[in-house]
Amino acid sequence: MSRALVPLVSLFFALLAAVSPWFVIKRAFGGKGVLLAPFGLVNPGGTRVPEFDLAWVPLAFWVWVALAALASLAYLFLKGRARVQALYVLGGLGLLFFALEAFLFYRQVAEINAAALEAGARRPPLKRYSLSLGLYLQFFYALFLLVLARMHTPGGAGLLVRYRGVVVPAVSLLLAMVAGGVLVWLLRPIPGLREPLSTYGYLVAKLDLVTYTFQLLFGPVLTLPGLFQSALIATPLIFTGLSVAFGFKAGLFNIGAPGQLIMGAVFAMFAGLYLPGPKLLVLPAAIAAAALGGAFWGAIPGWLKARFGAHEVINTIMMNYVALSVMLLLLSKNEWSFFGHVVHFPFKAPGYEPKSLEISEAARIPLFLNLLGFKGAGPGELSLALPLALLLLLLGYYLFFRKLELGPRVLASLAAAVAGYLVGGLLPGIPAQVGADLASVRLNGAFLIALFSVAFYNFYMWRTKHGFELRAVGLAPKAAEYAGVKITQKLVLTMAIAGALAGLAATHYVLGGGIDEYRFKQSIPYNVGFDGIAVALMGQNTPIGVTLAAGLFGVLLTGGLQLNLQLGISRELVLVLEALIVLFIAAGGFLPRYFTDPLLAAEFLKRLAPEREKEVA
Amino acid sequence: MDILSTAFLVALVAGALRQTTPLLFTALGGMFNERSGVVNIALEGIINFGALAAAVTVQLLEAPYLAQDPNVRIWWIPWVGVLAAIVAGVITAWIHAVVSIRYRADQIVSGTAINMLSFGLPSIVLLFLYHNTTASKEVVHRILPISSYLPFLQDFFATPLGRILDQSPLVYLAFVLVPVTYFALFKTPWGLRLRSVGEHPEAADSLGINVFLMRYQGVLLSGVLAGIAGAYLSIDQINQFIRMMAAGRGFIALAALIFGKWHPFGILGATLLFGFAEAFRIQIEGAGVLPSPILQAFPYVLTMLVLAGFIGRARPPAAIGKPYEK
Repeated sequence: MSRALVPLVSLFFALLAAVSPWFVIKRAFGGKGVLLAPFGLVNPGGTRVPEFDLAWVPLAFWVWVALAALASLAYLFLKGRARVQALYVLGGLGLLFFALEAFLFYRQVAEINAAALEAGARRPPLKRYSLSLGLYLQFFYALFLLVLARMHTPGGAGLLVRYRGVVVPAVSLLLAMVAGGVLVWLLRPIPGLREPLSTYGYLVAKLDLVTYTFQLLFGPVLTLPGLFQSALIATPLIFTGLSVAFGFKAGLFNIGAPGQLIMGAVFAMFAGLYLPGPKLLVLPAAIAAAALGGAFWGAIPGWLKARFGAHEVINTIMMNYVALSVMLLLLSKNEWSFFGHVVHFPFKAPGYEPKSLEISEAARIPLFLNLLGFKGAGPGELSLALPLALLLLLLGYYLFFRKLELGPRVLASLAAAVAGYLVGGLLPGIPAQVGADLASVRLNGAFLIALFSVAFYNFYMWRTKHGFELRAVGLAPKAAEYAGVKITQKLVLTMAIAGALAGLAATHYVLGGGIDEYRFKQSIPYNVGFDGIAVALMGQNTPIGVTLAAGLFGVLLTGGLQLNLQLGISRELVLVLEALIVLFIAAGGFLPRYFTDPLLAAEFLKRLAPEREKEVA
Repeated sequence: MDILSTAFLVALVAGALRQTTPLLFTALGGMFNERSGVVNIALEGIINFGALAAAVTVQLLEAPYLAQDPNVRIWWIPWVGVLAAIVAGVITAWIHAVVSIRYRADQIVSGTAINMLSFGLPSIVLLFLYHNTTASKEVVHRILPISSYLPFLQDFFATPLGRILDQSPLVYLAFVLVPVTYFALFKTPWGLRLRSVGEHPEAADSLGINVFLMRYQGVLLSGVLAGIAGAYLSIDQINQFIRMMAAGRGFIALAALIFGKWHPFGILGATLLFGFAEAFRIQIEGAGVLPSPILQAFPYVLTMLVLAGFIGRARPPAAIGKPYEK
């Protein structure tokens, strides 16, 4: 690492912190804020705020400058253990100081609000106050110092390379956010600007605009309804992300998830409309139908590739358009003329909106809140059945039955889960209150199916012979073929399973009522199939990674609604961020190549190895 | 409806030429980058960005003139729009080139990212300029068919042949480009170098050819041509930009490129096939022969059939899709 890096980062940090808003004292609807920066209060909208004594903020700024200078000097002039210790101490101090500042700010706000309420104000004068960019910078600068210290302890130099599975997506996310921030800076005016600002005020206000954009995007993690809504949006992303990841593992690029999702929805609709019988049979059959529809649509390009060598990328894209046509045929009208003969279809519901008839009660997936034992908004009881079942499932798999073979192990764990469900259902529930905003979120049981799909992906890919063969085909097709893998069969099977995973996303929309009604609607957001590409890449094709990446995008897409409401920025900004993340991950985050190439990474770590051996000796 | 009536045939052929044009531009562009050894699945996105740039540029340029006189027509405005589309196409292609040549990214993933970008970014620009997320304002200055430049030939353009030939200058440009690209690719030293880096970059490098430079040129040229295709869609075929306007043409062009065996005349034949199929679909759509969704799926199914039936015999450039390492 270049020696100039730390002083440069420190300088950049200090300069940016100087022109960043540190605290937002009050924010009105539309993003108009009263901003506190180290060199003055910036109030673009002329909002009235009570007297606010934050004279310590400029002082705090100089403390940070001193800290950054000390860190640079320590890095440049100290050696060995002293340098590491200095960096650890400075980083730790930074974190403490950050916490202190946040505490001081929140206490001051609370005091002012309390005083105003006591004086007879009807509402607290300071609303929607928050920390802002300056404080975030401090937090990450302190973290940077700590990571740097760790990297200079023995055996730490390869730290980033060893965790490259996290580093590359994180760097790509950061770069995409910077690019998105530039876009917002260029396209949006300062909210609520009344009178011209000084240059300093302008910089602070623009940086606040960018910060506020991302605060809104990440905002849903702070509330329970926000988290539920994010999980709702993440559910189909988990399915499509797994679908794309499944293809990637075998060296196939499945851009056909949108079409597979639509065909899953078509099959699920057939099952939901026409299957008779009790819920216990119809619901699993309908879920299986969704998977089957997707598998059918995915297997076709797989077969075309295996049989004719036609590239799956173009074919899966073409299959998306064909699936769209199938959807239009089924949903947009009920009367079609084939060569002059009028044929009647029984699917479309009467009315203007293109959507199918409602599926039967038996084929509907219950809402998540109902699964937890609640009946809707208002007081209810949290049933222990589902939590206990999941707990026993995990405990069974990872603790009780570890000695068994995979098959019996899974079966035994499932049996434990069923037992847990029954026992939990008999236990008295925990009384709890469900708010109306929480009850209106249509998160449903498809979320659980998604989690089971993650588990399936994990087991299939890393615990079975088929998965092993599949990964071998992805890494070295010729070697795999030589070792006896039937490549053509493998291609069709892989695309079928990838398609099935994407098709299962339809369970969320059609069977689970993810878009408000238990129908197949033409407004089904099939583009989540493309989002799956970003999810798979961001998650580096690992089960945990895909789940987390889907969660991240679920949060961003949920926050995107607020973005439109508050700042008039199109929700498509999230799509742009997604595309940029894909682009940057494809470019390896613009990091050195030993971050992306496993062979070079191994070589890099090997070169560092002697150092570690010395440490052991 | 009489399939063999003159009116039907004239409409079919004229429509086919119009449908072929954007595919031909795009496929010829794709030929340059694939011949240089780079897969460019971003063609779809380049068309979208070209279309956006053309429509927005024309709309912004004409607005002050139209504010003064609503009937004013200025001949150069649409051509500046085409230029803007070329610039946008080149910038988009340049991103793909940098990521896939310099940073050795997976070229298909990089292209997909650019396509995703071309679905999202226009909405933000449109919201900023026109307060909606799906379409631009309609432009007044479209590129007009040649009859409007040649008023003294009115009588000829009323005949069936005249109606077929009365096309936009861009249509003529697309067809003229076929022999031009053939000459550039197969009869000039530059074309030989371009093909050599796509076949065997190591050998080309040892002869002193700059592999990276040639590949950059191939990809940027595809940006130029696909950008023009975008301009053709937004300020020639119709008069506004609509979100995701390329509607798969970038991918169909890729299929035509493979079907045409990476050769200009082969590409001409392949794109004409797709153009005729699309024009035929449009012509019989109103006749109630088949439901329109089935007809709309037709070009896409045709693409798959073409890929399945003919790819076995075609041989792509040997080094395609592989990043070159010096």
